[in-house]
Amino acid sequence: MSHFLRSLLFFGVLGIAGVAGLMAWPIGVEPPGTLEQLEGNVDRGAYLARASGCIACHSDFEAGGAPLAGGAPLATDFGTFYPPNLTTDADHGMGAWTISDFARAVRQGVSPEGDPYYPTFTYPFYAQFTNQDIADLWAAFQTVPAVAKPSPQHEASFPFDQRWGLKLWRAAYLSEPDTSPENGRSEAWNRGKWLARGAAHCGACHTDRNFAGARIATRIFAGNDSLPGGKRAPSILSSDLQAGGWDVDSLAYALRTGITPEGDVFGGSMAEVVNYGTAFLSDADLTAMATYIMDNVMSEN
Amino acid sequence: MKTKFWLTVVAASSVGLGALAHSGATGVVKQRMDAMDEMGEAMKRLTPLMRGQSDYDPDIVRNAADTMIGHAGAQMTELFPEGSNRKPSEALDVIWEDWEEFAALAEALRTSAEGMKLAAGNGLAGPGNMPGSGMIGTGQGMMGSGQTMMGGNQGMIGTGQGMMGGAPTQMMSTEMLAEMPVNAGFMAVTHTCSACHQKFRAEDN
Repeated sequence: MSHFLRSLLFFGVLGIAGVAGLMAWPIGVEPPGTLEQLEGNVDRGAYLARASGCIACHSDFEAGGAPLAGGAPLATDFGTFYPPNLTTDADHGMGAWTISDFARAVRQGVSPEGDPYYPTFTYPFYAQFTNQDIADLWAAFQTVPAVAKPSPQHEASFPFDQRWGLKLWRAAYLSEPDTSPENGRSEAWNRGKWLARGAAHCGACHTDRNFAGARIATRIFAGNDSLPGGKRAPSILSSDLQAGGWDVDSLAYALRTGITPEGDVFGGSMAEVVNYGTAFLSDADLTAMATYIMDNVMSEN
Repeated sequence: MKTKFWLTVVAASSVGLGALAHSGATGVVKQRMDAMDEMGEAMKRLTPLMRGQSDYDPDIVRNAADTMIGHAGAQMTELFPEGSNRKPSEALDVIWEDWEEFAALAEALRTSAEGMKLAAGNGLAGPGNMPGSGMIGTGQGMMGSGQTMMGGNQGMIGTGQGMMGGAPTQMMSTEMLAEMPVNAGFMAVTHTCSACHQKFRAEDN
């Protein structure tokens, strides 16, 4: 056997062993058993679901779909992804899940079977949700009528259809969102940071992604020209927004109504974000988000 | 540094001066962009008044409504001949694939603007009367009713039908809007803009 063939065999075996190891590599830490004992608040959970975009993404109202019965497909460079059915249907939704399954899915992006979710699901933004947040969300999801609508299989192209590869992605790119309060900032500002950097996941669209589809840490809020479906999201850096005539008041109002300081009305994905999400938030929360977005250090990146 | 300067210039012009995007437009594309700009100006006049930030004046409302009525329905659709979406147009092909819906939304602009015009004399809603109007309705109020996930979602919103997909058939008629505080008409107009932009306009940048 030639040296070349031997090395090929060696690396081949190593590769197979590596992949096998990756496939077996367990991910997602089981949340503590205390989750079951928490009492969830339905209203608070429904509110958080609105803020987090669950309803906007997992419903296809345009196509006449029922709430949370599965969203419109997202066509990306890596394939077409279908936001699944999140209703209480036992076969097609989350009806057979436990709250721990739910916690692992939302905070860690790991399915009840232990498979990693694709990062089209914005779970990295939800990693800091407290146990009470999870319990509230779970209680709210229990009130969603079951819809027996199957979730289509994602149509990821090779090699992205190999889910074990996502474990490498997680190891390389997954990081906790920075939603922690900062000293010397107002309560509203810190609440706004928690929403904008976490639950409301502004950065999912308004931040550039690298070749692997991971958000670029130095480009937070700087805009993204290659969103699913060939869409684009403008910069929401405070310096750019100010130059465009925005202030806290007009931004909060736009998140409520879609109306911009120019007299335009949001279209595209931002119309969905507002109409199915932020329009339902309290004045205080919208002002908090606007306060944070109009005054942060991202512009310095 | 130079790159950053130009990035800022590009970003600023795209975020702020939408008018720049219209430079180079000719023919129907220019005509409809000008029409949209006129309606944008009308929205700009209406917004502070609807928010209670400036004194309410029914004539401003009627005047703005007339601007919209003048650009609605057939006046709108005739400016969108098939395939007329070469740059700098932001019109999407789906307009001609779903022409019926596009035309229905153009018509909904007329009915909602007419409703707003007729309601101009009714004045603004008092606080708390108009959940979902964008002025008052806090999220908690909406979600609080009904103890369900979709509490705010299924007809609970009052004026919000348009939010749930914007199918014009679900929107309120001119007659209904005419009987309501003027905010309802304003929100109906806004939802029509939003529904149409959501589906039929490219996201500019």
